[in-house]
Amino acid sequence: MNRLSALLRDLQFWVPVAVLVGGLLVLRWIR
Amino acid sequence: MDPVDQSRLRRLQLVGVASGFTAGAWLGAAEAPTKMVTLGIPPVVISLAMVLGVFLARWSLPALLRGSAAIGADVRQAPHLVVWAVLAGCLWAVANTLTIFAIRDIGLSIAFPLWNSNSLLGIVWGFVFFNELRQAGWARWAGVLGGAVLMFGGAMLLAVASSGTPGTSGHAARGVAAALAAGVLWGTMYIPYRKAYLTGMNPLSFITFFTIGELVMMTALAVSDRGGVAALMAELSRARDVLFWLLCGGFVWVVGDLFQQYAAKYVGISRGIPLSNTNQLWGLAWGILVFGELKGAAGASYAQVIGGSLLMAAGAAAIALATARPEEHLRWQEAAGREGARYGVDPAYVRSGLAGEGTTVRTRTWLDWGIVIAATAVFVGFGLVARVPELAVGGGAMVALVVASLGLLGGTGWLLWRTTGFN
Repeated sequence: MNRLSALLRDLQFWVPVAVLVGGLLVLRWIR
Repeated sequence: MDPVDQSRLRRLQLVGVASGFTAGAWLGAAEAPTKMVTLGIPPVVISLAMVLGVFLARWSLPALLRGSAAIGADVRQAPHLVVWAVLAGCLWAVANTLTIFAIRDIGLSIAFPLWNSNSLLGIVWGFVFFNELRQAGWARWAGVLGGAVLMFGGAMLLAVASSGTPGTSGHAARGVAAALAAGVLWGTMYIPYRKAYLTGMNPLSFITFFTIGELVMMTALAVSDRGGVAALMAELSRARDVLFWLLCGGFVWVVGDLFQQYAAKYVGISRGIPLSNTNQLWGLAWGILVFGELKGAAGASYAQVIGGSLLMAAGAAAIALATARPEEHLRWQEAAGREGARYGVDPAYVRSGLAGEGTTVRTRTWLDWGIVIAATAVFVGFGLVARVPELAVGGGAMVALVVASLGLLGGTGWLLWRTTGFN
């Protein structure tokens, strides 16, 4: 649970998550 | 954390640089099967088939080289990295699908340099998040940044040279958006890579979980695109006689990616990514020499190709010579210490990982041999029903490129084994 909490508070985790969401949106647009 | 011995550091940097160049050769070769897009197979089916090959390779190679017991031991040390690996796999799958659309819309020769802009993003993430290029000195900065800019310029020149190649579909804006988005996704995917390797995880363990993310994401994308599981299965069935080649493309990609992982581990993402982006040179060599791109082009196009290639090679050489000094490596260790403290990882595990030393004993079990045999059987099965695609290829050039790629694989693989034991 401590590691999960550390993960969710880690800014570096949210950068790839945001980029992944953006990539999916681009994919939806070009299709 | 004690600093890594200087002579050891030099050997690790050499391993990282050699891994980067070898990654370039194999990643470039893996793009060749995507030429099958022009044969009327839907892009997502091609992407899914490649990911199936990737999945098989990402489970069988680690089982063969290291054994699943060692992978389990890695996960027990840093279980949070499984989440990072799955996330990176999702990024890879979306980026790979975007590249297929980009190739369809603007052609491989233009799409390649656009998505390879990921190296510039990698330098930013490496500096901002992982202390790369800190206390590196102006010469190293000039080498890495100047080298990356040179490579980008060379890539642009190559794109101009080959902009008249066939395969474009009249949707240039969509193709450019797809290629650039793929570059951002891949550039960001290296955050999890670096995170894992600073924390001490072995690349062979990381890719085992990475591939779960890519297979699940790719399957979801393919099902959504084709309008259901039944429709997707029907497409796969129709394409069964070329699936073998796509599985092979995925396998070749994994070999390149594995070396890219070692490059990211030992020279960092700011240097490792640009070096592995020499895959554009290899991709172009495959495109021009084997698949006949640029056939009938003006002499100026060939001059641009030669000039662009020389620029890329000069950029890669500048980066290869700008290896990290001990002062910079200490900053990497600081970042590693921060990661270890944040996630409660044993400092000894973190340090041995950074120094390329193993903490576990390699053993192969029946499970490992079972995985290797099952993966091989799938390849053999699809190989038996495969037909050679109706593409005009340059046989002599293909043999030369294959021999060169195998030479790099053997040489760098030996160096990696001798120096780190694949750690």
